[in-house]
Amino acid sequence: MEHILSLLVFFPAMAGLLGFLVVKESIRAYGICVSAIEFVLSLILWMVFDTSNPGYQFVEFFPFVPSYGMNYYLGVDGISLFLIILSTFITMIALIGLSIEKEIKNLVITVLFLEMTMVGVFVILDVVWFYAFWELSLIPMLYIIGAWGSANRMYAAIKFFLYTFSGSVLMLVGILYMGYLYHDATGIWSFALPDWYALQVPFDAQLWLFGAFFVGFAIKVPMFPFHTWLPYAHGQAPTIGSVILAAVLLKMGSYGFVRFSLPLFPDASVYFLIPVAIICIIMVIYAAMIAYAQEDMKQVIAYSSISHMGIVILGTFAMNGEGITGSIFLMLSHGIVSGALFMLVGVIYDRRHTKMMKDFGGLASVMPNFATIYGIMLMASVGLPLTVGFVGEFLSLAGFYRINWVMTLLAGTGIILGAVYMLVLYKKSFFGEVVHVENKTLKDLNAKELSALIPLVALVAILGIYPKPILTTIDASVEKMLVLMDQKALQDKTKELLMKANTIGGNH
Amino acid sequence: MENYLYTALFSPLVSSLFVAVFAARPKMLFTGIVASLLIAVSMICSFVLLVDVNTYGPLHVTMMDWITAGNLEIPFGFVVDEVSVIMMVTVTLVSTIVHIYSIGYMDHDKSFNRFFSYLSAFVFSMMILVMSDNFVGLFIGWEGVGLCSWLLIGFWYHKHSASWAANEAFIMNRIADLGMLMGLFLIYWNVGSFQYDDVFAAAPELPVSIVVTIGIFLFIGAMGKSAQFPLHTWLADAMEGPTPVSALIHAATMVTAGVYLVIRAGELYSLIPHVGFAIASLGAFVAVFAASMALVNNDLKRIIAYSTLSQLGYMFVAAGLGAYWIALFHLMTHAFFKSLLFLGAGNVMHAMHDELNIKKMGGLYGSMKATAILMSVASVALAGIYPFAGFFSKDKILEVAFNEGAYGLWLALFIGAGLTAFYSFRLVMLVFFGEKEHVKYGIHPHDAQPFVIYALLPLGLLAIIAGFFEPMFEAFVTRLVSEYHIHIPHATEYLLIAATLGIALSGIGFAVYKYKRGGFSKSLEDKACYRLLSNQYYIPKLYECYIMRPFTVLSKFVWQKIDMKVVDFTVDIIAKCIYASGQEARKIQSGNLSDMLRWMIVGMLVLLAFAIVYSAMM
Repeated sequence: MEHILSLLVFFPAMAGLLGFLVVKESIRAYGICVSAIEFVLSLILWMVFDTSNPGYQFVEFFPFVPSYGMNYYLGVDGISLFLIILSTFITMIALIGLSIEKEIKNLVITVLFLEMTMVGVFVILDVVWFYAFWELSLIPMLYIIGAWGSANRMYAAIKFFLYTFSGSVLMLVGILYMGYLYHDATGIWSFALPDWYALQVPFDAQLWLFGAFFVGFAIKVPMFPFHTWLPYAHGQAPTIGSVILAAVLLKMGSYGFVRFSLPLFPDASVYFLIPVAIICIIMVIYAAMIAYAQEDMKQVIAYSSISHMGIVILGTFAMNGEGITGSIFLMLSHGIVSGALFMLVGVIYDRRHTKMMKDFGGLASVMPNFATIYGIMLMASVGLPLTVGFVGEFLSLAGFYRINWVMTLLAGTGIILGAVYMLVLYKKSFFGEVVHVENKTLKDLNAKELSALIPLVALVAILGIYPKPILTTIDASVEKMLVLMDQKALQDKTKELLMKANTIGGNH
Repeated sequence: MENYLYTALFSPLVSSLFVAVFAARPKMLFTGIVASLLIAVSMICSFVLLVDVNTYGPLHVTMMDWITAGNLEIPFGFVVDEVSVIMMVTVTLVSTIVHIYSIGYMDHDKSFNRFFSYLSAFVFSMMILVMSDNFVGLFIGWEGVGLCSWLLIGFWYHKHSASWAANEAFIMNRIADLGMLMGLFLIYWNVGSFQYDDVFAAAPELPVSIVVTIGIFLFIGAMGKSAQFPLHTWLADAMEGPTPVSALIHAATMVTAGVYLVIRAGELYSLIPHVGFAIASLGAFVAVFAASMALVNNDLKRIIAYSTLSQLGYMFVAAGLGAYWIALFHLMTHAFFKSLLFLGAGNVMHAMHDELNIKKMGGLYGSMKATAILMSVASVALAGIYPFAGFFSKDKILEVAFNEGAYGLWLALFIGAGLTAFYSFRLVMLVFFGEKEHVKYGIHPHDAQPFVIYALLPLGLLAIIAGFFEPMFEAFVTRLVSEYHIHIPHATEYLLIAATLGIALSGIGFAVYKYKRGGFSKSLEDKACYRLLSNQYYIPKLYECYIMRPFTVLSKFVWQKIDMKVVDFTVDIIAKCIYASGQEARKIQSGNLSDMLRWMIVGMLVLLAFAIVYSAMM
């Protein structure tokens, strides 16, 4: 078990290399098998994970460039555990639902490489390696959009790549400066995250460093006003690209906030709390309005992602167990739900080669199963209780309420606006009479699509009804992080806010 | 007893899931029968629990944990006490009858199975709502009934108006739900728990301002579900759904959830009587406001919907003034006679081939006697005539208003009682008596199948006798909710009763007298106040012109002008600038040695300049 994390990271890539030897006809089956084994491995990781231990487990350490403190350093805790499982699960589901025939061998191998980088980002504890995985994840996605996308794919792919890349370059500057600060304070070089956690960064430096990391993460999430690459990327990407992008890649940004910004720079996080929250509120409302104005079904879901990520970040900045645990759970639930929604759009796109809502109408009577699953995902997306969407949203908003109730109210309009654009989408596409002749003969979901979608539906229900095992595991690590933040905080204001955010009662 | 509790709660769920398996298939009679049986099982268990609570007191179980994070812990816990068991009995009783009725009503519908799946899912959600032992559990049911209402209003989804009305209902409820969520968060951060017991125990210790805020937020939630002004427009539009749905969801049960919430949180509201008075005032306003719209409407179902709205106003008056058991009593009696009225209307609609305009009916008494009698009974009960059920509950509410010294409220309710009597009998007269207008349209009405009529008989019976349970009901419910004493001298009390009865009777008399003679003249319809009423005070139009359309326009503007032309354009401009500067700078690399040397000199000069400036700064 001691090398399970390395196995998790490199197994897909190794299998991907071997994939070059597999014949084209069986590559899809091969990809599904590899991703299924990887998924089972991640489940084994969860099974052997000690939920009573909030610290890093299955730690692996190999000196890499010891003189500069850059080492191969892996570990997993409650915060990253489920994001790893989400990555492996979504990759498997996306491969099961894969409907592309063109150059399928290259596509499957690319996806397996992408899986390596995604898992890598979530398990790595060395910041330089983290940066490497973070950047490496761009390349397979660039290739997926650029090679298998629709008409305007080059523009979208390049925009996606350059935009996120330029953001992460700033983050690299931040990483180097942080390494320098660490060396300055202790006399030794280290890029290990747990070492960095122990360092109290001076307040002024925190502000700059927070900013540098913020840009990198904010573009990835994407936060307003850095979000415009996302609609293009989703609009042009093939289904599998959109599914993985929305379900996992966006979570890297929000994971970054939890893993880096908060524990490394607690004072700066509190200092910038209100501005960040304002950006989140803008994201929620602004993206929801744009989603409502869309005519393209896929764009509605793309913008709805931005809107939901606003709540995720808001929950993270609630600075309490309720909010942060909720925001991590919301990352998982958004991964499941948005992944499913993009897959559903892919289903109808494969049949009709259009994503425009005006080309549909009355689909509920022609494709009842499709309409049912779409309806379930829609309800999960608007956060109906007993679906997975409610838990995270409720906790995130509940957590932030302690910080500022007016802002929570404004962000809470997301539950109204979310219902508005989603229900309008559903009405336009599924209700009414079948007006287009082409739609009258559409086939309902086939076995392949059902086998990809039914696990997602099951998860929506199961995690909605019984989220507790996941929540308690996440919460243990989050509470540990909050204690760390409190210990590290330099300013009284920070300590006061952390104190207030984590206690019941008292004045507001 | 726990087994009865779980059976009562989960047999509707089992019914829904079982029937859902056949949802996509053509009509299968057994789905309707199985669903009705399972709901009946739930009803029987509820009655058993009623007896049990009466004998041994409340029952409280915790099934399992649901959400835990930080300090927050929310379990799936259920409580069967005096209030929730009354709700359970009412809900399951009406549900069972509506299920049986629907077997007949939905007979020819191709989505027969799907209908029963949704209907049972609704009953399950409603049971969760009333049985939960904490506010978040209530919220599960709250949203669950909202979902089922959406599914059922939009049941005939091929109709544009139906799916539009469904979305309207869902979205309007969501607006209110946001208020409710805020109330929940406030409760959590002050009490640290969502359990009713903890919250009510802690409430007296909390600062009054906090309790006031909680009370207002929770009531905003109640306003959405119970369609109080200004969130009332969805209820009339919800009549697009099949009539059994209107009877069950939009008359008897779901819309009373708001009243239930206020009753349930009574211990909170009794700490803040001024908020309660505001609730009562809004209720009284809605009672008259909705009744006035019912006066002129010609749509059979919409009239009854407005009447529901008006009666919900009555309930809120009682609940707001602290007479919780009276509110609950009116909720129960109303559920009986209002669902009876709707189901009777369903029979009429079937007979009239889905015609809803009451001006096109008339004289149906001859061909559908049973329905006519049942609907008349329901109307008399609604009007509040002794000894029918409505008399007991409604009259009590008026007495409460008088007792509190809220004479304004009393007057509003008094007028409301007269209006109620008038529009109820306007409906009865236009539908069942007078000229047979329908003959012109070549319709030959016939009454519903016998089993449908038999299914309605229990409701008819209850509409007549339920009022006599009042003393028992009071003794039972006030074990949990606070008692309410009326201190009005007997003479005054009799006078009040006589006055109320008088206005109700004269309302009925006026309607009967007027419509026996062919009703009002056409010229009335051109009057400004008639148009105001028939256009629902222009409120739906107001919402469309000043909320929906601007929102659509603004959304398009934000997308096309701000997002595309400002935010994205800026990004592209930056990229283009960098690209263009590269294009221009490329010329430097001409490969010409003398050019290169010149640039080298420039570079050296720049570096020198930097060095000088830097050393000067140091």
